Amino acid sequence: MAEHAPPSRVTYDYVTRTIARTLGSPTRGYFLLLGAAVALLLVGIVTLLYLLRYGLGLAGYSHPVYWAVFITCFVFWVGIAHSGTLISAILFLFRSGWRTAVYRTAEAMTVFAVMTAGLFPLIHIGRQWYFYWLIPYPNERGLWPNFKSPLIWDEFAIGTYFTVSTVFLIMGLIPDIAAVRDLATGWRKKLYALTSLGWTGANEQWRHYTRGYLYLAALATPLVLSVHSVVSWDFAMSIVPGWHATLFAPYFVAGAIYSGVAMVITLLVPIRKLFHLEEIITLHHFENLAKLCLLTGSIVSFSYMTENFVAWFSGNPHERAAFWYRAFGEYWWASWTMNICNGLLPWLLWSKTVRTNITALFVISIFVNIGMWFERYVIIVVSLAGEPYQPWANAVYNPTWADWGIMAGSFGWFFMWFLLFVKNFPAVSISEVKEVLPPPKRQATRAGAH
Amino acid sequence: MLALPPVSLRGQQAQPASSAVSRYQAPVVSDTGDLKGPRQPIFFRHDIHAGQDQIPCMYCHYSASIASEPGIPSLQTCIGCHQLVGGSTPSHQAEIRKVRDAWRERKPPEWIRIHALPGFVRFPHMRHIKGLGTSLGVEANATCATCHGDVKTMPQVSLVATLKMGWCVRCHVQNKVSRDCSVCHY
Amino acid sequence: MTEPINRRRFLKVLGVSGAGAAAVSACGIGPEPTERLIPYLIQPEDQIPGLATYYATTCRECAAGCGLHVRVREGRAVKLEGNPDSPINRGRLCARGQAGIQGLYNPDRVARPMVRNAGGAFEAIDWDGALQRLSAKVAEARGKGIVFLTGAEVSTFGDLVDEWMRQVGGRRLSYEAFGFDALRAGNRLAFGTSSLPTYDFANAKYVLSFGADFLDTWLSPVEFQNGFSRAHAFDGGRPASMAKFVYVGPRMSLTGMNADEWVGVRPGTEGALALAMAQVIVSRRLAAVPADAGRLSALLSAHTPRTVAEAIGIEQNVIVRLATEFANARGGLAVAGGMAAQYANGAEIAAAVNILNYVAGSVGSLVKFGADLAVGSAGTFADVAALTADMEAGKVGLLFVHGANPAYSLPGKFQQALSKVAYKVSFSSYMDETAAGCDMILPDHHPLEQWADSRPRAGVTAFQQPVVQPVFDTRQTGDVVLRLAGRTGTFQDYLQAKYRTGRGAGFDQFWLDTLATGGVYGDAPTRAVRLGDVSNLAVAAPAAANSEQQDVVVFPHPVLHDGRGANKPWLQELPDPVSKIAWHSWVEVHPDTAKAWGLATGDFLLLKSDFGGQKFPVWITASVRPDVLAVPTGQGHTAYGRYAQDRSANAFELLGVQPNSYGGRNFLVSASATKTGEHRKIVTTEGSPRERGRGTVEVLGVARAKALHAGDHPFHHEETPEYAAEAVAWWAEQQHEKAELGDYRGEQPRWGLAIDLSKCTGCSACVTACYAENNIATVGEDLMQRGREMSWLRLERYWLTDEHGAPQGAVNSPMLCQQCGNAPCEPVCPVYAAYHTPDGLNGQVYNRCVGTRYCSNNCPYKVRYFNWYNYAEREGAYEAWPEPLSMLLNPDVTVREKGVMEKCTFCVQRIRGAQNQARLEDRNVRDGDIVTACQQSCPSDAIVFGDLNDRRSRVYQLAGNPRGYHVLAGLNTKPAITYLARVVAQDTPSHG
Repeated sequence: MAEHAPPSRVTYDYVTRTIARTLGSPTRGYFLLLGAAVALLLVGIVTLLYLLRYGLGLAGYSHPVYWAVFITCFVFWVGIAHSGTLISAILFLFRSGWRTAVYRTAEAMTVFAVMTAGLFPLIHIGRQWYFYWLIPYPNERGLWPNFKSPLIWDEFAIGTYFTVSTVFLIMGLIPDIAAVRDLATGWRKKLYALTSLGWTGANEQWRHYTRGYLYLAALATPLVLSVHSVVSWDFAMSIVPGWHATLFAPYFVAGAIYSGVAMVITLLVPIRKLFHLEEIITLHHFENLAKLCLLTGSIVSFSYMTENFVAWFSGNPHERAAFWYRAFGEYWWASWTMNICNGLLPWLLWSKTVRTNITALFVISIFVNIGMWFERYVIIVVSLAGEPYQPWANAVYNPTWADWGIMAGSFGWFFMWFLLFVKNFPAVSISEVKEVLPPPKRQATRAGAH
Repeated sequence: MLALPPVSLRGQQAQPASSAVSRYQAPVVSDTGDLKGPRQPIFFRHDIHAGQDQIPCMYCHYSASIASEPGIPSLQTCIGCHQLVGGSTPSHQAEIRKVRDAWRERKPPEWIRIHALPGFVRFPHMRHIKGLGTSLGVEANATCATCHGDVKTMPQVSLVATLKMGWCVRCHVQNKVSRDCSVCHY
Repeated sequence: MTEPINRRRFLKVLGVSGAGAAAVSACGIGPEPTERLIPYLIQPEDQIPGLATYYATTCRECAAGCGLHVRVREGRAVKLEGNPDSPINRGRLCARGQAGIQGLYNPDRVARPMVRNAGGAFEAIDWDGALQRLSAKVAEARGKGIVFLTGAEVSTFGDLVDEWMRQVGGRRLSYEAFGFDALRAGNRLAFGTSSLPTYDFANAKYVLSFGADFLDTWLSPVEFQNGFSRAHAFDGGRPASMAKFVYVGPRMSLTGMNADEWVGVRPGTEGALALAMAQVIVSRRLAAVPADAGRLSALLSAHTPRTVAEAIGIEQNVIVRLATEFANARGGLAVAGGMAAQYANGAEIAAAVNILNYVAGSVGSLVKFGADLAVGSAGTFADVAALTADMEAGKVGLLFVHGANPAYSLPGKFQQALSKVAYKVSFSSYMDETAAGCDMILPDHHPLEQWADSRPRAGVTAFQQPVVQPVFDTRQTGDVVLRLAGRTGTFQDYLQAKYRTGRGAGFDQFWLDTLATGGVYGDAPTRAVRLGDVSNLAVAAPAAANSEQQDVVVFPHPVLHDGRGANKPWLQELPDPVSKIAWHSWVEVHPDTAKAWGLATGDFLLLKSDFGGQKFPVWITASVRPDVLAVPTGQGHTAYGRYAQDRSANAFELLGVQPNSYGGRNFLVSASATKTGEHRKIVTTEGSPRERGRGTVEVLGVARAKALHAGDHPFHHEETPEYAAEAVAWWAEQQHEKAELGDYRGEQPRWGLAIDLSKCTGCSACVTACYAENNIATVGEDLMQRGREMSWLRLERYWLTDEHGAPQGAVNSPMLCQQCGNAPCEPVCPVYAAYHTPDGLNGQVYNRCVGTRYCSNNCPYKVRYFNWYNYAEREGAYEAWPEPLSMLLNPDVTVREKGVMEKCTFCVQRIRGAQNQARLEDRNVRDGDIVTACQQSCPSDAIVFGDLNDRRSRVYQLAGNPRGYHVLAGLNTKPAITYLARVVAQDTPSHG
């Protein structure tokens, strides 16, 4: 990877210092951001209290649109969660060096996104206080959840994914925490001493560590495919035209990674600026991310076309009606937002100038996030509102303050965790960035020493 | 609990039980404070009526075997006997006086409910009595005891079974009767 | 029923704890409150806890006099059902009748006598005090004019009032907002009798209605609908019946919607059409013309199709065709009423239609005089107008109002006049507009609380008995009148005395029998009528409105009628069968007109007549003539309780108060229509009015239908389309052995319904019945606007159109849970709240549901409804059963809580009830033991319930009918409901 060699002033020492600097005492800007996140979270909490007291009627639901913004957000966040494991696990197995600078952010993002997504199924059910009935536990009434229901599969898929990605994140952190521990003082030193699990960096430890990390990566890889496939079956298993398609699993997985990578870009750009990591997170990294976007984006656009083709090709009047309504019904604007943001814009990434222009990338990634949110909105709301089976029952649905309140809360919740993380733990992997650096000169003579 | 198939239930009750019942003597209760169950406006002694005097349950709760609800006997039912029966001990007399006063003032006592099911459960008494043994008299008492406990020995009635779904289900399983949800929930 | 005090207290507590339990079971969390059990003092021998008692009585929601069976549980009336013994409704009951119970337990009833104090405000007063005051008032009003205004009241109570009025030198008037003056005048003109006949729809071979809405508001709707469906349904009453039904009128009503052909004539020209048809029949000798038809010749020759066609606005060959069909049917029945009878020339139109019947030989056979329907005895509108004038002139010293609300149907005018009356007393149970204007209110018992009788027609005496103790401190007006008349005894004694005469010892038995059957049911002898002198009958239509004016038709709302239904949430929430609009009023505008004026549905249109102006939101529909606007009555109350008050606009405001030539009221006014610029989202259950060939409803031409043989499957293609055929076959393969497993071996019943679309008229009685039986919450205007109504059973109305796309009627399809054998809702429920019962129902376990709503998303019929709020919450924003409305909750059905899904389960509580009973009697459930609420109410017997595994059951027979099809069967849902295709007269039916 000679051509990728970073500028010479980037040495082991430099890396440790720059990254450690990100943990320095927070600026006013940081507190402003954190405050904003917490404020949003509070909005969400208040809204939730209202929902619990008065019922889901406060949200915009109307017969037959019984799933709407909440489930849209659920799928959106699960999607976001995907790039994390992809970048950290799969790219690790493929030994692609460029991941090292970005995977920590992606992983953190994954964990927090799953934490966010997991809230929605609980919020959106009618009797939130009975959520535990969805969990299998022995009881004298002899009642069990219905394992035929995709919702139960979901619960397991998300659970597993959350556990694994969390373990993965923590494990990756160990050597870095040890590194900052050696620089830190006061309560932080104690904290890091505890969380670094007595890491000394001895060869023995490294050998076990790398081996363990490898296995974990191997274990996590299938999840990237499984989780969102299962989520997609929430829809594909039903008979609702617009949901009921064998295409859904790959389509959703691609979409998930697409949105995930976009979100990584959205997050990295400011971090890089804020913490002056230009030297470490280079254009080269962004370009690779952009390429990943381009690939998955193309798969998604292709899926759109396939969907519509199959609807027509099936000869099924209900299917045809559903997709006609999607494109030209009351919600045409949503569908076209989705098509433009996810389908057209990313094609700009074919050009290297765009791929290597941070601002352009940032803007595009934002649009992709929006587009992916609308994709879920279109799939869920529009398919239900169109009601191709019983035209008599179709209706137009409009979100209310409650829908937006919960959604805002979810963003607050996510960013709160993320901000707390980047301030207290190395947002870029120190050890792994070093791995891809050329060893310092004097190293050659002083054999054995570290 | 007595959640046995009806046949064996009758078998049990046939000879010894009935004679046992006749021998039953209700205890003299001086202090009601330590009795189980809520204190009722009138200290009505099921153990004396159903136990000692062997009045069949369905003498007062007559609708239990034909309707879903057992019903609470009207005050008229009480007065039917207590016009004449004044009670042997002062304490009994005092309680019976309450009944007569209530009758005179046309003001029925407000009993505290002990056996209550949530609004979403249907418990048709007649079906269960039919299933567990229908004929009146001691056997019916035993049938009732399945859920209400041995009321005929209770000075003050209290809850013996949880009346929770798990408890219902166990009995339905033992008796091999339907466990279809919509049998009880609609 | 002894000890009113304690019983009432008992009822109250029961009501509370009942509702309390509901609320608790609804909140699902927290312990049950310590309930108190208050026993009866004396157990009424006819009340067994847990068992329903049925009392026979009579419905007084309209003057038709349908018999009722009231289901009473623990002293609470919980449901009204039709009395099968009654010759009028034969066990059926319309929506208005069902909702009567919401009048009984209405939260806005006047709870105690009220009197206006010096300050002009109402204050409570005890009965004795009130009556003393009143007798004083009566004494001083003697000679100053005493008037007692009642509704159509042909009853012992009416007689009593008459007696009393004679005694105090007053007079009684009866008033119905929608009187039948034109009909009576028309009969007088044609036959010299002003009494109203009965119409034998059941035996008609061809039905022709000139505006008469005999299926919704005209005379005796339930009876007529029952008869009509026998005549009109395909192989309904007789082999291959299917009498053609033609509706003539400017607007398509619920009745018109069931027509095979709609002739939208210019308003007021119906008479000319009738005469022209008669002319054709006579001139062409199409029927055995009666001997005295000769005296018609002059009149008829003046009305040849050629001369009148242009005025009517249809081609003359249409007239000829109709006349020919009508006569050749040998048993054509023509009826005039509704709109046609409310024009200035209504009497002439009625007379003309009489003539048509006469020349076709239907008078005496299908039109039977002698019944003298009670509604016909109501005073004419002229009388009321005169009364108003007298009141204005201060000629009325004391006014009593009972069972009428003239201040609403004669807004302004009557109210002003009312203020001129020295003292006025209302006996209304509700604070309606008239009561609000009175000085004293002596609330009457609700009809379900009182002793009474009524004579809806000659030969029939319908009895009323109290089925519950009075809910409030009200008193039967009969008692009050007796007391005021200074007579001893109660009205009950008075009533019995009347029937005791001439019966002697046999009386007690007679009395018991009558109360058991609900009345004395006999047939009146048919009176022969002869044609009077009609030579100078002038049927010419009134001058059409000038250019800037519009013809506005004011029609009675099918369920709110003249406004009396507006205080009952069931009726407010019931979508109007035609427009599907609920909770507010509207104006019907033809698409062309709307285009010309740039109107969109929901825009407000200000209608200004010479008498008043009102704003109505526009509903654009092709079911009205382009040159006519139509507005329903019923809304726009200024009083009358929380459900009625300040809702939309009162259409009566547009109408004049002066009687027309025959002493009736004009309901056709010319008004200016201006767009106000305001807009509202109309509250409608109609998503898309077009069925789009998705196989929801199927229609057959009559020729094709007649050609069908047993075993034919005309809809096989729709049932399994190519794209699904393979999958369905594969599935059937897979199921083959599964079908042998445990509960599903078919030893258990498989409950199913058969619904005959050629019988269903869309009257919506079933919908209200469902609300009543299953404790379905009414959600109110705001939530319904957001599509959150809970109606488990909805009626989908799809227009039938002619080749030009103009509606020629509609197919109505009751859509409810199909209880699929292979239900999409079941596998997706994560907690088995939606599951398959052994007897083939899609069970819905409310207390297990956590509310993921996946089941509804996956339901292709969209018949699952979600509790967005806790509608049982006391004082909650959306409380559906405010005290004492909660008393009518069915104790056999769970009151659902916030956050759970609910839906139709074929009245599972009735199924289980019948099974329990059968088990007690050591037998199996027999076909017919179980009757679902919808089936029970259906006036046209379109719905049949039963066990599909029982080859002898009625439903099994119907399920095998070649007209049968299953909705969306292509999805392989295996529904338990078989729909029987609608059959229409035209051979190439096309529908939306």
